[in-house]
Amino acid sequence: MRHAALVAMHLAACTLCACANRGPLIRPNLVTGASTSIELESTPFFPQLEFQCGPAALATVLGASGASVLPGTLEPLVYVPSRRGSLQIEMQAAPRKFARLSYPLTGNLDAVLAELAAGRPVLVLHNYGIPLLPRWHYAVVVGYDAAKDQMALRSGVTRRQTMSARNFMRAWDNGGRWAMVVLKPGELPANPDSARYLEAAAAFERVSSPADARLVFDAAVRQWPQAAVAWIGRGTAGYRAGDLPAAARDYEAALNLDGQNAGARNNLAMTLMELGCADRARAELARIDTATLPPALMDAVRDTRERLAGAQPMRADQTSAQCTLP
Amino acid sequence: MSMSVWRTSAVSILSVAIVNLGLVGAAQAAIVDTATLVAPAREADLASIRAQLSRDDVRKQMQEMGVDAASVDARIASLSDRELHQLAADLQKAPAGGDVLALVGAVFVVLLILELVGVIDIFKKIPR
Repeated sequence: MRHAALVAMHLAACTLCACANRGPLIRPNLVTGASTSIELESTPFFPQLEFQCGPAALATVLGASGASVLPGTLEPLVYVPSRRGSLQIEMQAAPRKFARLSYPLTGNLDAVLAELAAGRPVLVLHNYGIPLLPRWHYAVVVGYDAAKDQMALRSGVTRRQTMSARNFMRAWDNGGRWAMVVLKPGELPANPDSARYLEAAAAFERVSSPADARLVFDAAVRQWPQAAVAWIGRGTAGYRAGDLPAAARDYEAALNLDGQNAGARNNLAMTLMELGCADRARAELARIDTATLPPALMDAVRDTRERLAGAQPMRADQTSAQCTLP
Repeated sequence: MSMSVWRTSAVSILSVAIVNLGLVGAAQAAIVDTATLVAPAREADLASIRAQLSRDDVRKQMQEMGVDAASVDARIASLSDRELHQLAADLQKAPAGGDVLALVGAVFVVLLILELVGVIDIFKKIPR
């Protein structure tokens, strides 16, 4: 009986190893433009203090993208004392404070390799524990070597840690395959995905300066000219920067793509009003079908309408020609 | 003399700051931010309703978890509605990356116990 169990275990173990031994995991030839080995040697290194791998890893990727921040500055932004660690959501949010956009990667190795090939180190979450006793750890991938099938990382107190791709994948799998890069305003990721980028950009907009938001959405407009949200984002950045004519043009472009977009139309009406074109603003606002509007948008539309009620039909310094946008 | 100069400049700086604050707030109110429009309308709306509830919840939980009260608001401010809601739901159990050293320690203790009990014999210097 006991013998049978042992044999079964042995068989199970061999099935597992058979699965695992299917050749190298790093196959950069699948990634366009990636060479067989890359190492971003100039990536800075901040040896972590106890439980502080989050701030250290974050400082590493921020530093590599030109934002020099010390882990000590990041600690009050991401560290949760009673958890003795940092949470992914806050790791993702913190770069916004330093004018950097966080872009989450899809959980496959090729996405990591592609970012490295583009010159960006990748922040990953590893789990070196067992299901009952997880050991979460943030590290920064700075390179790979396809011939040796290994990855190079800045991790913990080790400046250059090499790890077989297999061990890397095991720890990454157990960590839910979470990875992100930080982007300078205007920079696009190696494999840009419109939904993910625009969500990241919208979250960035709340914290950023109008100028940075403009760069971020400018890149989006160039990459996805068919995405109405990209134009809206650039419009709002223009509005916040005080460039009202540019804002109006971008909102109009968004409406040409998506005529039902009440948010774009409301923002256009606001912009026109501030340009001194109250009549046109009213005409735009009247086209919004308020019956189907969700409450958050309804509030904004009501607000715009109230402001318009007090506005002059057309300011003396504006001619109707100026209110007709090119 | 210099005291009154200080006071005058402080008052003028503050008044400019206050007036500007008012203006920024007013100008932004009627503009719908992109975050509200990036998700499908219904989803965005739910997220913003939840975010209101989540904000206080996260603030309270974070303080209980030892985060400095002064930095809680700054941390919350950089979260999107969706992130805020997500954080409120799993602040206690989401993975928190911290350290690997603790595990090495735990493994060592286990090995040492096994060694002392006599199950394994890898530390040759320890007398059996």
